[in-house]
Amino acid sequence: MNNAERKDYRLVLHGHMKKTYRKRIIIDRLATIFAIVCVVAAIIPLGSILLEVVKNGVAALSLEFLVATQGSIGSGKGGIGPAIQGTIIVVGLASLIATPVGVLTGIYLSEFAGNGIFPSAVRFLNSVLTGLPSIVIGIVGYVTVVLVLGSFSVWAGALSLSIIMIPIVVIVTEETLRIVPHSLREAGYALGISKAKITLNIVLMTAKSGVLTGIGLGIARIAGETAPLIMTILGTSLFFSSLEGPVDALPLRIWRLASQPYESAHSFGWGAALVLILMVLGVNVVLRLLAHKKGFTVRAEV
Amino acid sequence: MAYFSRSLTVEEVMREEKAAVAGPVETTVRYKVVIKEINGWFGRKQALKNINLNIKDKSVTAFIGPSGCGKTTLIRCLNRMHEMTPCALVEGQVLVDGADIYDKSIDPVVVKRRVGMVFQKPNPFPTMSIADNVAAGLKLNGIKDKNLIAEVVEESLKGAALWDEVKTELDKPGMSLSGGQQQRLCIARALAMQPEVLLMDEPTSALDPLASSKIEELVRSLKEHVTIVIVTHNMQQAARVSDFTAFMYLGEMIEYGATSQIFKNPEKELTERYISGKFG
Amino acid sequence: MARLLDIGLDRIRNLIMDMATLSEESVNAALESYEKGVMLRPQIFEYSEKLRILQLEVADFATELIARYQPVARDLRFIQSCMDVAYGFSRFGRYAYDISDVLEAIGPIPDCDKSYVIEMANTAKNMIKLSVESLKKLDKDTSQKLYMMDDSVDALYRSYLRFVLTPRDREYAYAEVRCFISALLILRYLERIADHACYISDCVHYIVTADSSPRR
Repeated sequence: MNNAERKDYRLVLHGHMKKTYRKRIIIDRLATIFAIVCVVAAIIPLGSILLEVVKNGVAALSLEFLVATQGSIGSGKGGIGPAIQGTIIVVGLASLIATPVGVLTGIYLSEFAGNGIFPSAVRFLNSVLTGLPSIVIGIVGYVTVVLVLGSFSVWAGALSLSIIMIPIVVIVTEETLRIVPHSLREAGYALGISKAKITLNIVLMTAKSGVLTGIGLGIARIAGETAPLIMTILGTSLFFSSLEGPVDALPLRIWRLASQPYESAHSFGWGAALVLILMVLGVNVVLRLLAHKKGFTVRAEV
Repeated sequence: MAYFSRSLTVEEVMREEKAAVAGPVETTVRYKVVIKEINGWFGRKQALKNINLNIKDKSVTAFIGPSGCGKTTLIRCLNRMHEMTPCALVEGQVLVDGADIYDKSIDPVVVKRRVGMVFQKPNPFPTMSIADNVAAGLKLNGIKDKNLIAEVVEESLKGAALWDEVKTELDKPGMSLSGGQQQRLCIARALAMQPEVLLMDEPTSALDPLASSKIEELVRSLKEHVTIVIVTHNMQQAARVSDFTAFMYLGEMIEYGATSQIFKNPEKELTERYISGKFG
Repeated sequence: MARLLDIGLDRIRNLIMDMATLSEESVNAALESYEKGVMLRPQIFEYSEKLRILQLEVADFATELIARYQPVARDLRFIQSCMDVAYGFSRFGRYAYDISDVLEAIGPIPDCDKSYVIEMANTAKNMIKLSVESLKKLDKDTSQKLYMMDDSVDALYRSYLRFVLTPRDREYAYAEVRCFISALLILRYLERIADHACYISDCVHYIVTADSSPRR
């Protein structure tokens, strides 16, 4: 190829690029500003909600508030002790049910299932479940447990909440396990280790932080669900007595306090909301610490 | 091929020449792995066609050939890892010390304990320390004796020429090592299982030249204890490191012989063209 | 697409072929001086020098090719042999120079019986031609022919030696002695040239078959 005959693309192309340069810089800047505006717009509601809750709820906080039972309506005395206890019990029980079921299903879908009819059906039903309105789940819990047992109960509430939590855990577990590089499994196979041991000791350990995050997400979600609780645990002003009886929970308590016409009740409601937010935050912090504590997490690759 | 480790006297040179002219004396050669009529498929595509090969005990055998010739598929048939890929199929026999590893009565997991493998990209377990990585195969196969494990870990790291570099840092994460060190860690992990045959699938292609040459030295020293089969697309590496070389093309074994003969005067023209860099 | 090594192989092949031509001309010139008594010494000296320099260049370049490209099999054998062949050609030039040296020392010898030498010279010249041909075509079968010619050269030399040493019943004249000495010395060099032509065809055999010498 003769160099003299070759068309000088460099001049032509660079010339064009130079001409449009200024315009493209302006568009780039505008796009950046637009993105920042959107982010701020998204943060404002979250920030303002948090501010409101803290502002209004801090006043109600006191030791008595946290441990006492409800005082007479409108008196401004008493507390939300039973609600806090109830939330811990119901959410705790629901997590205990949902975690093994969700994690094992996630492991099944990621490690043992292919793309056949049954696994695809499981995945499909799973995603349908995530979109199910929580009131419907509450009705299911009512019909299957409350009517059968004859009373509103912790079981009913825990079961309903676990139905909400399971799909979240399944999806996050499956996704995190898929991200674990296949080369690690191959290394395990090449050492003559059985598939079960590889899945639990190598793959799951590597994906540990992701799975724990999924569980944390699930807990955060169900801790705030109100509708299923209305139909299953009923709510009460007494402390926990038995798993077959009704129990109080923070979302219920907040709703009831908010519907009362008294100023003190509203104040208690804000306080309860603040407590709920702090509890969920606490759980997530603990889970994060657990994830980073022993062993070494796969961070950059995930 | 005598490695240039010592200079020969005139008598020795003359004796070698006489032997070269007279031809090899038939001694009983011990074959560690005998590959008989192996055919392999990926779905419909046949990746291996009637492979027959005898691999000598305590030697280094290299598989060379252009991309897609089936050398990786073949090596993965030697420890029953090929069949783990979806839609993969193997027919034929692979005899290790006379026993067919594809026999119905044999558990594939057990095969992998006797025939170890090292992969192209180093893959230490990220959640484990250096010592735990080396011991992973032992611990997850039920060995509980801590002292025994510690001994084997030290032995394996020494065998992989990594002990001196990490002996004070055995609790550091396995991923904190450099690429070449990670690969030696993976070799140590494989050695800890005391395999009789070690398969290496392009072990140095992800490493820089210095790290690669360390691994090549390692291979030469390991062959006194373990039979080694190495897949490489670097011809000079095959020439440096192996005693026997097999050239494969489009799923067939084209030529197999002593490395010095293959690289000095190959019998098949296709082999000559490939090793001279005329294609592939 | 040509390999990088191919460019190097072409270059070394050209160098060898240049040396072949030069050495042939050099030997022809020396033998012409003997036959016709012409003084071609400075030219022959120049050829010999050129051949020596070319030989060094071939050796250097061959080493560089091996270090850079790590050739194997036939390519490697070819490069190794080029080094030996280059030495052979430089030897031809050196013997041509030695022949012209002898002629200078002896002086004019117009009346000698040059038939033996001329016969052997023609054989030697043909052997050089044949070996260069076999190198060009990489024909390994010329070795046999060259061995036969080499045997005949050896036989000629021995028969001339016997002829010279056969006792006669008269004293030799000074002129005759000069004839015998010049002829014998030149025949020695021609015999060496014939040997080297055989070595070159041995190299060709090695390139093609990887066997060192069919004679053994």
